[in-house]
Amino acid sequence: MRFHVVKRDHCPLWKLLGLYVLAVAVALVLGGLLLLAMGVNPIAYYGRMFTMGMVGNKIAYKSFENYLKVFVPLALTSVALSLAFKMRFWNIGGEGQFILGAVAAATVAFKAGPVLPEPLTLVLMCLAGMLAAGLYGAFVAALKVRFGTNETLMTLMLNYVALYFITFLGETKAPWNFYLDDTSARPIFTSFASLASFPKIPIGKFGLNICVILTLLIGVLVYVYLKYSKQGYEIAVVGDSVGTARYAGMKVNRIVLRTVFLSACLIGLAAAFKVGTAGILATTITDDVGWTGVIVAWLSQLNTGAIFVVSALISMLQYGSTTAASTFSQVDSSFADMLQGAILFLVLAADFYTRFRIVPVKKGGNDNGNG
Amino acid sequence: MAEQYAIEMRGITKTFGSVVANKDVELNVRPGEILALLGENGSGKTTLMNMLSGIYAPDSGEIRVNGQPVTIASPQDAKRLGIGMVHQHFKLVDVFSAADNIWMGKEKAGFLLKKNRYDEIEAMAKKFGFDLDPRKKVHNMAVSEKQTLEIIKVLYYGAKVIILDEPTAVLTVQEIQKLFGVLRRMKADGHSVIIITHKLNEVLDISDRVAILRKGEYVGTVNTAETNEQQLTEYMVGRKVDLNIERPVVEKTRPLLEIRDLTIKNDEGAVAIDHVNFYIRGGEILGVAGIAGCGQKELCEAIAGLRPIEQGQMIHKGDNIVGLSPKAILDKGISMSFIPEDRLGMGLAPSLSITDNMLLKNYQDAKGPFVDRKQGRADAEHVIQELGVVTPSAETPVRRLSGGNVQKVLLGREIKAGPNVIITAYPVRGLDINSSYAIYNILNQQKKDGVGVLFVGEDLDVMMALCDKIMVLCHGKVMGVVHAHKTTKEELGLMMTGSLDLTNKYEDKPAGFAKDTNFAPENQGDGKGET
Repeated sequence: MRFHVVKRDHCPLWKLLGLYVLAVAVALVLGGLLLLAMGVNPIAYYGRMFTMGMVGNKIAYKSFENYLKVFVPLALTSVALSLAFKMRFWNIGGEGQFILGAVAAATVAFKAGPVLPEPLTLVLMCLAGMLAAGLYGAFVAALKVRFGTNETLMTLMLNYVALYFITFLGETKAPWNFYLDDTSARPIFTSFASLASFPKIPIGKFGLNICVILTLLIGVLVYVYLKYSKQGYEIAVVGDSVGTARYAGMKVNRIVLRTVFLSACLIGLAAAFKVGTAGILATTITDDVGWTGVIVAWLSQLNTGAIFVVSALISMLQYGSTTAASTFSQVDSSFADMLQGAILFLVLAADFYTRFRIVPVKKGGNDNGNG
Repeated sequence: MAEQYAIEMRGITKTFGSVVANKDVELNVRPGEILALLGENGSGKTTLMNMLSGIYAPDSGEIRVNGQPVTIASPQDAKRLGIGMVHQHFKLVDVFSAADNIWMGKEKAGFLLKKNRYDEIEAMAKKFGFDLDPRKKVHNMAVSEKQTLEIIKVLYYGAKVIILDEPTAVLTVQEIQKLFGVLRRMKADGHSVIIITHKLNEVLDISDRVAILRKGEYVGTVNTAETNEQQLTEYMVGRKVDLNIERPVVEKTRPLLEIRDLTIKNDEGAVAIDHVNFYIRGGEILGVAGIAGCGQKELCEAIAGLRPIEQGQMIHKGDNIVGLSPKAILDKGISMSFIPEDRLGMGLAPSLSITDNMLLKNYQDAKGPFVDRKQGRADAEHVIQELGVVTPSAETPVRRLSGGNVQKVLLGREIKAGPNVIITAYPVRGLDINSSYAIYNILNQQKKDGVGVLFVGEDLDVMMALCDKIMVLCHGKVMGVVHAHKTTKEELGLMMTGSLDLTNKYEDKPAGFAKDTNFAPENQGDGKGET
């Protein structure tokens, strides 16, 4: 019997969701097999991972606060990337833009923190982070509209420039280098948490960081911007067909510059949120959100609402696996990366089934018997 | 044993999702005959032929070659069975020479490119009576040369059955006659030819039999000698159709758009439009005829403000429009719609809904920072109603519509904006009879409303019936403007190839200058010297 692939017209929502849930389940089963091979009880491990160590924990609220610290930068970065992706501008420079945003925000914290009131410092940190990251992104957009360079390559390479820049800051002991701890002989970043730190709204013992609220708010704004605003409409048209956009009298270059700047700005804001919460720089400050954000944006098919759901799940995997690693010492926290990869592949496979069906080939006509 | 057919297709069914492209289709081709395959857009002609050439597999049904049932699972299978297809969009590597394009698909071609491949392919081309330089690179070839190359390619692979998908769409009258000569010679050699075309006169001219499809279903096969255009159209459409295109007589106004001494370069920097003079009045349709790539696209883009001009003047109702932004030109009431080969490249955003596409040119007019979708939806509903667009809803992405409906959406939006000059290039490109006539009616209605229409077309019969005057371009130069009802296809063909220049036929005034021009008197005569 032969099979062939047939296109689906329309996939009902329940089937769509069912397929995605199935994909995640299969990924978990695959991960479970691996855990079994390592001699770990998968159910116990997954239980620990998905509850993020909050069950039976007296300071569960702490776990949730820490979980949100992972969630905020990822969600905001993914939302930011979706802006550029909607225009088919392949910004894979989230990492670099995030690093520059973080360094700029930290600089403001060190310099303005001691002289200005804390709320003002925090606002300035956000603005500095946005501006630095925004310009870093807009630089690539400018090269693209002026010289037609490939933005994928440019943003990718600039990630490394930014990474080496922050590594340089982190490893160079010098009188000018105020990012480092003076008291330590080895070069390590110093904390500015006492100078500027985003406030928390206390709900019982739990402190809801203001960044969470701001991130959700920005999510709503971006959703409205993309769906209902004139500028969002322009992004959709430019992404669909540059020729058509020009024909309609749109100033395509300006739209590209504006959108990429905005996209990178929001990544810079995510970075400011991150350093303003952590209170310290690190060469690993990004937590790979520039990369993971690309995955999140695509898994969500650039739907802003879905981005929040998917980032919540991915953050759960990442943070949960770190917590679980403390109980199951033989399973490294990078198990989460593997699981994430498996989920990505299987969701993409499920995506195929939402668009196509596989059916057996029917033999038609009369059988002629001569094989 | 019944008659031996070269190809038999029995009960072929093919579906794409819920769309039935072919349903229970029967098709027989005899050795040494030319079979025309006729049907409207979306009637499943190309799908059927793609199953014969191994691109699709049928859901059910049987294909027999020389009486033997076969499974054609890939183009290689088709090649081995002696079936070759010349696609509508050529499948050639632009930077390769003619010989290499043939060579690369050869089985057992060996690891190395041998020097003698040029001689071998030249000899083979000569054997079939073609004139082909095997060393010429494809990107240097004219469309007709590329087509010849495609035909030689399938013959080289030993095809006994040759399928041609709309081969005449891109050719001039003279080139079509040449192609038909080739086809007749192939037929005499015992090859079977299946030709897909929309043009009934060609069907009657070249084919032995005609198979007709309607909405994916097989209608029947008739002997060409026993039929006529009217009957074929009825088979194809399923009802009687009036084949006459109207040409209403309308009071003409003063020139709306006047072009003087216009020179434009193309993307490669070569001169695309060369010192061109013409004008359009309200209430007339001015046709623009020319071989593909004669500067039509550049001319349209320049008028719409999408392409900078090198030299010359463009006056709209007495106001200069050179150097204005596309938006400013739109606001003056000049609408341009260009249907490129892929039909979606310019003018529409394919992934966006009909509603969103309606907003394309006026989304800026809404107050505040938000898009006025309510207006867009109303406009979309209006166009869907008025022009009979077949769509599930106004929110359907444009790319999901069939070609005719896409073009109706585009033209509908342009007309809704109430332009006074419509520039439309290939508005019926690839459309079937029904949709084409709907578009002609739209244009005629606009003409009656006093709009000036510039109609860039490819089908001379249509242009001669629809247009008031026809301007012929050859390599960016105007070869003259003729009255559509006085000219002949042969005359137009000669002008298109540059053999006949009628620019100075009317001695009483400079060619392309209106008597009642809106140009200021001191500008009179500008640019005359160059033409």
